[in-house]
Amino acid sequence: MTIEKTYLIPTSVNEAIEMAKANIGSFKYLAGGTDVMVNRFQGNEESPCLIDISKIKELKGITKNDGYLRIGALEILEELKFNKDIKTEFPMLIEAALTVGAPLLRKTATIGGNVLCENRCLFYNQSEWWREAVGYCLKCDGDICIATQGKNACFSELVSDTAPALIAMDAEVEILDVDGTKRVQLEAIYTGDGVKPRNLSETAILTAIYLPLNREFKTDFHKLRERESLEFTSLTSAVAIDAAGKLKIALSGVDPKAVVVEGTISDEKAGLIKKAIKGGRAVDNDMYSRKYRREMISVYLNRSFVKLGIE
Amino acid sequence: MEIIKLTVNGKEYQVIVKPHDTLSKVLREKIHLTGTKVGCEQASCGACTVFVDGKAVQSCITPAMRVAGSNITTIEGVADQNKLHKLQDKFVEKGAVQCGYCTPGMIMTSLNFLEENPSPTTDEIKEAISGNLCRCTGYVKIIEAVEEYVKEENNLHPPIGHLPKEDDYKFKMVGKGHPYIEAKKKVQGTADYADDIQTKNALFTKFVRSTHAHAIINSVDKSKAEEMPGVRAVITGEELPVKFGVLPISQDERAMAIRKTRYIGEIVVAIAADTEEIATEACKLIEIDYSPIRPFFDMKEACDDVGEDEQIHSHCKFNNNIHKKAELRFGDQQDGLSKADHKIKVDFDFQGINHGFTEPHAATASWDENGLTIITATQVPHYLHRYLAKVLEVPMNRVRVIKPTIGGGFGGKSDPFPHEMIIAHLSRILGQPVKMRFNREEVFLTNHGRHPTTMSMEMGISNEGKFDVLDADIIIDGGAYGSFGVVTSYYNGVLLQAPYKIDNFGFRTRRVYTNKPQCGAMRGHGAVNSRYAVETIIDRLAVEIDMDPCEMRLKNFLDEKSMTVGQYRITSNGSVESLKAVMERSQWADKFKKLPEGHGIGVACGFFISGSALPIHWNQYPQSVVHLKVDLDGRVLVTSGASDIGQGSDTMLAIIVAEVLGLSLENIFVVAADTTLTPIDLGSYSSRVTFMAGNAAKQAAENLKEKILDAVTAVNEVDKAELNFQNEKVFTNDGEIDLTWVEAIENATRKVGALNTSGSYNSPKLGGDFKGAGAGLSPSYSFGAVITEVKVDTETGHVKVVNIWGAHDAGKAINPLAVEGQLQGSWHMGLGQAVSEQMKYRDGLLVNANFVDYKIPTSKDTPPIDTSIIETIDPEGPFGAKECGEGAIHPVIPAVANAIYDAVGVRVTSLPINSEEVLKQLKVKKVESLSSS
Repeated sequence: MTIEKTYLIPTSVNEAIEMAKANIGSFKYLAGGTDVMVNRFQGNEESPCLIDISKIKELKGITKNDGYLRIGALEILEELKFNKDIKTEFPMLIEAALTVGAPLLRKTATIGGNVLCENRCLFYNQSEWWREAVGYCLKCDGDICIATQGKNACFSELVSDTAPALIAMDAEVEILDVDGTKRVQLEAIYTGDGVKPRNLSETAILTAIYLPLNREFKTDFHKLRERESLEFTSLTSAVAIDAAGKLKIALSGVDPKAVVVEGTISDEKAGLIKKAIKGGRAVDNDMYSRKYRREMISVYLNRSFVKLGIE
Repeated sequence: MEIIKLTVNGKEYQVIVKPHDTLSKVLREKIHLTGTKVGCEQASCGACTVFVDGKAVQSCITPAMRVAGSNITTIEGVADQNKLHKLQDKFVEKGAVQCGYCTPGMIMTSLNFLEENPSPTTDEIKEAISGNLCRCTGYVKIIEAVEEYVKEENNLHPPIGHLPKEDDYKFKMVGKGHPYIEAKKKVQGTADYADDIQTKNALFTKFVRSTHAHAIINSVDKSKAEEMPGVRAVITGEELPVKFGVLPISQDERAMAIRKTRYIGEIVVAIAADTEEIATEACKLIEIDYSPIRPFFDMKEACDDVGEDEQIHSHCKFNNNIHKKAELRFGDQQDGLSKADHKIKVDFDFQGINHGFTEPHAATASWDENGLTIITATQVPHYLHRYLAKVLEVPMNRVRVIKPTIGGGFGGKSDPFPHEMIIAHLSRILGQPVKMRFNREEVFLTNHGRHPTTMSMEMGISNEGKFDVLDADIIIDGGAYGSFGVVTSYYNGVLLQAPYKIDNFGFRTRRVYTNKPQCGAMRGHGAVNSRYAVETIIDRLAVEIDMDPCEMRLKNFLDEKSMTVGQYRITSNGSVESLKAVMERSQWADKFKKLPEGHGIGVACGFFISGSALPIHWNQYPQSVVHLKVDLDGRVLVTSGASDIGQGSDTMLAIIVAEVLGLSLENIFVVAADTTLTPIDLGSYSSRVTFMAGNAAKQAAENLKEKILDAVTAVNEVDKAELNFQNEKVFTNDGEIDLTWVEAIENATRKVGALNTSGSYNSPKLGGDFKGAGAGLSPSYSFGAVITEVKVDTETGHVKVVNIWGAHDAGKAINPLAVEGQLQGSWHMGLGQAVSEQMKYRDGLLVNANFVDYKIPTSKDTPPIDTSIIETIDPEGPFGAKECGEGAIHPVIPAVANAIYDAVGVRVTSLPINSEEVLKQLKVKKVESLSSS
């Protein structure tokens, strides 16, 4: 009756993929585990096989590579601040990383895990019993969205804080799968469907993040949260402009995917803000109301534009 | 099953684990190192922090398999054998340990961080521990301990705030800061909390909880669960039909739902099995057929008449869901309102909040020839004793309740609980010990927290700022059962008759049943929300007559040795001193109305009872009794039923006895809160313990002293008055008699054996003879004031509290270290209710039953707290002491609201004061100012 539980610890990505192939449909990769383990406690993640990739050396390390800074997916959030290149070229990434959870958590959590962390919703991130009481939602095999009381779509939110920062700075991700390696813009992995928020196959491993060097980014970052620590985001807003005048806005916490608005520093700002607000399908599934979070998009973006001197 | 090797604190273990076991489970249940605490199981409280190969991790989310072969350090491995690590020493010395449940995690986190950053700033310390929740200390003393450790200085720093002057000539023990007597155990991780006690052959119990707010239970199919191997018993409510409730007048609850369920989360079935996992799986096999009936979630709706069979409880007097109506009126309110020069009426709306203690409820029950023994996380062993006997239908002499170390209570462990009844019964039928522990969600569902409240309050004053009249109409949302609710109903009103003199005063409170987890007593019981209302209205009235709000309050305080309009006897009263202290320390005069836009300062005052003068159960038995025993070894055994829940009552008892007998704490041994071994004490609620058990201890010690005096004077020509008890000696000033303590005891015990004495306390008869006169009566009242400073972001509405100055008249601080800790903890808890905490429901289902979405302020959210203890030496308190554990929470919340007004000119009439509401009010203000210009 009960499927045997296993815990596998590969030492190379190839071994990990092999293990994954052997356990299709019944496994979950585990990096830092700070997200997966909590979801498991709540019964939202019940894979009988855990493949712990945290000991794979090739997934670690920060190197310069062909005009990019390559950050291994297993780099620890709390430790990014020690890297000189990140500090000088991409300080917003450090700023974003240091808003994740609390320091204790960040000492275990990885950057790869953070961009891949499971979407959240007040009506989903609950115990098995709780979800039974509310009547299971779309994300846990129910028929309707509970948060919106009936919509046929899931609006669980992307809550990564590092993703918006990375996306605003044109980050790419390297994905390894059974059929080889590919590199895509980070925002391209998010589907916008809260039930299956990423378009990665089950076996895929996000191996590294690439940030373009020498773009001379100027950035601004905000995170909406009630407390100054221990919080998932209710709205994370990242804005970057580069030396060529390119402007990129990325938001999390207001949509199942990252909301991205691109333009130039000379674009009309009200229009950009409008686009950003329109791009997010926030619903009332957070301790802050939908209305307030949308309103804060405008406040944060205006602040960023002022700070970046482009208002 | 896998076998892994772990080196824990230098010792090698080979442990059989399940592939997905967490490290915390392995450490606690397989290796039996229970110093690592589990408070949330979701990496949101930090109590479970350990080192893996020198790096701090949260063991509740660390897979055990991942750390196979690693070196693990737990709190038990921090001390060098019996020599504490210096940081542990600092935690003890600085009073950074109260309930102690967060302490192991806090120490582990700090040690790891200090290794990386050996000389941190205060902000860096706050950042480092911001993933470790503490509900007792407001982090103040924890940060001090880390800072002092960092500075490697000893006692060179000036204490914060006013400390009372040390009466060296007068007291040797009282008035000096003493670390808790059990603090060392707590920093070592060896103090046993309820879930740390491992009983041989114990079964584990899990509960099936209702998924319906209000429903008829048609049937319960237990068959599949009963068939599961390892399941020992599956029981439903019919097995425990006797009703109970902490108040004799509210016997409305059963151990499990019978026939119908009244809230989502109510226990319907309990399953005892060989392991926790089996019990959990078996719960999933229970099938319950419900027929939902009309649920009631809104407290106003619950006041209306309802259809047949729609009542939540059929015992309500009328055809509605009103549980209790309390109404008292003094003076002439109509006359007062008509004569008032200025009056303001405001409607308020308050969300419910939860105690948020870090230790989830846990208990173990077993039976032997002496009947039942239950070890449980309770604040009220005595009431539990009574109700276990009632529900199990056995005489009280078949029940023994033992309170182990408790990880905080704040009122949340002050009721007898269903889970205690259930495991006691299961153990009886199964003949085996039975254990349970809640997860954090279950703690929230069990609740008994502060009532959601809606009220309308009107206050009138004269042109001179004299308070003339106060009227309040209040509805409190009791949830599904009674708990302390009748008392809460009264407290919401009666506790408004001080600290100001108001001759025309009245209120009506209606407590309603709704289909939500029940509400009960929580720190500051009953009066926190209504205090918010009064103090914010006073602030409005002060604006209206253009008077400084401090000045206005100073004009209206009751005098000491006076009587309130509802006949409360005020003895000592430190209101004026408290308010003046915070005005001075905050530099009020330089800041009020003078800070830049967005930055403000606000004030409020409060008061509270030092224990209820009337017992819950009417009888002639004293409210506290303390026994002392001493023989050959000279150590005085203090036995008391008082429950130390982290507030330091064991230490308080020890200090008092030591003071009277001239002893050090080395010669005191406290045994408390065991209903068989210790005399009855009503428990830790209503801020009664220092006043009542303290007085009983003092009397017991004086009686013991008298026996020793008798023995000395029987063989010596000396007047009793000439004998001193000091420094472990009994002596006369001329040196004629100079006995060591042990010699004195030898003299006194010769031929008669151990000396036994007893002391007790009963409140004097107080109050009027009208119905309801007893509510809020106390032999003494505490008083206090708080000023806070806030910054408000006018674009987001976000409020940051940047400073708290608090002062509290505790009569006499028997243990100033503990008193400061209680005050700081109260102010911190108030801060949470002020700006971030709420229990959010949707259709009766609590949506934030965890420490991520229920937002207890972290160290980073907690501003510096300046603490002033005011001493007024109460005529009846032990050495002049009064309460300090609850009253301080009252003024801090309205002080935040009043500071927001000073900062940005808006009034918030709901709690918590969230950013959204502030922003909304800012917009309203903007529109108003535009339309008026």
